[in-house]
Amino acid sequence: MSVSPPPSETSQSPNSELAWGTRWLGVTGLLAPAGLWLLLLLVLPTLVIFQLSLVPNIRPGDVVIPSGIENYLRALEPGNLGVVLRSLKLAIGTTFLCLILGFPVAYWIALLAPQRWRNLLLLGFVLPLWTSSLLRTYAWIAILRPTGVLNSLLGIVGIPGLDLLNRPPAVLVGMSYSFLPYMVLILYSSLEKLDRQLLEASADLGATPLQTFWKITVPQALPGIAAGSLLVFITSLGDFIDPELLGGASSMTVARLIYNQFLGQTPNWGFGSALSMVLIFAVSVAIALLLKYGDSSATQR
Amino acid sequence: MRRRQFLNLSTAALSGLALSGCGWTLANVRSTVQTADDLLYIYTWAGYTDRELIEAFYQETQIRVIADVFSSNEEMLAKLQAGAGGAYSLIYPSDYMVRRMIDEQLLLELDHDRIAGLDSLFPSFESPSYDPDNRHSIPISWGTTGLVFNTTVLNPSPEDWTYLWENQQRLTRRATLLNDPREVFGATLRMLGYSYNSTNPQEIRAAYNKLVELRPSIAAFDSDAWRPQILSGDLKIAMCFSSDANEVIQEDPDLAYVLPSSGSSIWTDALVIPRTAPNVDAAYAWINFMQRPEVAARIGERLSFATPNKAAFAKLPESVQTNTSLFPPDSALEKSESLQPIPPDVGELYNRYWTRLTSG
Repeated sequence: MSVSPPPSETSQSPNSELAWGTRWLGVTGLLAPAGLWLLLLLVLPTLVIFQLSLVPNIRPGDVVIPSGIENYLRALEPGNLGVVLRSLKLAIGTTFLCLILGFPVAYWIALLAPQRWRNLLLLGFVLPLWTSSLLRTYAWIAILRPTGVLNSLLGIVGIPGLDLLNRPPAVLVGMSYSFLPYMVLILYSSLEKLDRQLLEASADLGATPLQTFWKITVPQALPGIAAGSLLVFITSLGDFIDPELLGGASSMTVARLIYNQFLGQTPNWGFGSALSMVLIFAVSVAIALLLKYGDSSATQR
Repeated sequence: MRRRQFLNLSTAALSGLALSGCGWTLANVRSTVQTADDLLYIYTWAGYTDRELIEAFYQETQIRVIADVFSSNEEMLAKLQAGAGGAYSLIYPSDYMVRRMIDEQLLLELDHDRIAGLDSLFPSFESPSYDPDNRHSIPISWGTTGLVFNTTVLNPSPEDWTYLWENQQRLTRRATLLNDPREVFGATLRMLGYSYNSTNPQEIRAAYNKLVELRPSIAAFDSDAWRPQILSGDLKIAMCFSSDANEVIQEDPDLAYVLPSSGSSIWTDALVIPRTAPNVDAAYAWINFMQRPEVAARIGERLSFATPNKAAFAKLPESVQTNTSLFPPDSALEKSESLQPIPPDVGELYNRYWTRLTSG
């Protein structure tokens, strides 16, 4: 995800009124399609959700008249807050795993792998995204179940089997598998721009490889790390399929809870909307943090 | 200056939208779609139609059928309420959902003169409680909720829900229950001697406590993914619908289905015509086609569901007629109930306990 700072107020050019007019037209022409898209499909629906979230106990067929914040109070009840916390933990865990798994790979592809392989290697990483995520999650069931592929392999080597399926670790495995490609792609594009001369200079000046890595490579890759982590964090916070299919009996997450409010047996669209607003708020905070820290280090360069 | 003007204008426009939005009605279902006379959109369960059936119907009526599938009644209702169901002229809801759709005035009252073969329904389906005299719906299949298990692993065989609690040691993380609050709570309530449809908070709480006790045995609350896992032996027992059980038993004869002795739920899936149906004539044609004994018998046999149609039952091979997982003995059915709609506040109660149960 590339987050660019909002276009700053450009200083008024000394051009004539006419030129200013045509430029304004150009700007409108460029921004109008996306702006309209955002307005119709993001801003308006969010307002509708917000409005719904202020109606306690709304039933289909009722007239929507905002009347109170009971839904939000309910979202903050210990039981529901626990669900939000579990989702946060899973999302943070997934982000961490993706970073640990993705960084070496991206580093290798960007800096060490032969030039002509790079595109092919990247393509290989994106390839799994071409099949349905539901299908891939079912494949993980086949791998992780007690008599599944993983335990058969472990059995051959003589290691006792793991009981992973229907437990939180299985969700972490499934989600990090699903979102690793995003992390690798973003880290790759960030590491690709790495100034190699700095690495050489660092080595010349007597830094150990480890020092060079922490003091030269990581700081330069920081915007990529921040953007990649954020994208994985946000996507896994809203993931529905992996917790549902891999998480087992005690894996209620906020995305599933929201689903239940709309498609469950006792729909409560107002409460579901309040939960959605809480989720949107959490994600907005994360994005604000990225804009503040992630991008400032990018503009420093 | 101009930019500011633009901003002011757009804010005004936005707040105008929000204001005019203040009085809108949630989920107001309206007819929006026109379809051709020779096109029938139906909304049904996965596994309820197949190419052969649709082809046979086309040969006879020259009406092309397009079937969309849903995986839960609530999903179907939500789609209609979101306004995306206007193309469907025929839907397959279950009993309690038929009631709810009638109450929400979503269904057309059926003209019985236009439907043949209504007199060949089994007596218990002639006037079901969810829709007296079948005024809005025609029952098309039925079944029960019970347990499917591996007979070589679990010996002696389970006979009741209590088996799950009595054999917790053997079942640790090797059992699944349906991903369905009403069915899971209903079964537990029934085991405790209460109604499947209890609205009594104390009884529901007792069932919740019982389920918390059982949690170490429950690998997942799951309505679909249990199939490959019970076939591979990773699960020993699963709560499921009889029609699904019958499918896996055909793949592995070591599996068996039991309708628990303390009672369970009986469900009926019915054909209904929504008020918004663009092609009512074609919908009647489909109902009449499905009512025909040969068609009902063939489709019931091929897709393994139980028919409520006497004449169709008579045409089934004996092996199917005596299949107790499809057609359980009356003695087992007597203690079972059908799911009833419950008041919203009781639904909320189930919902809260369910969230607590599934968040460990």
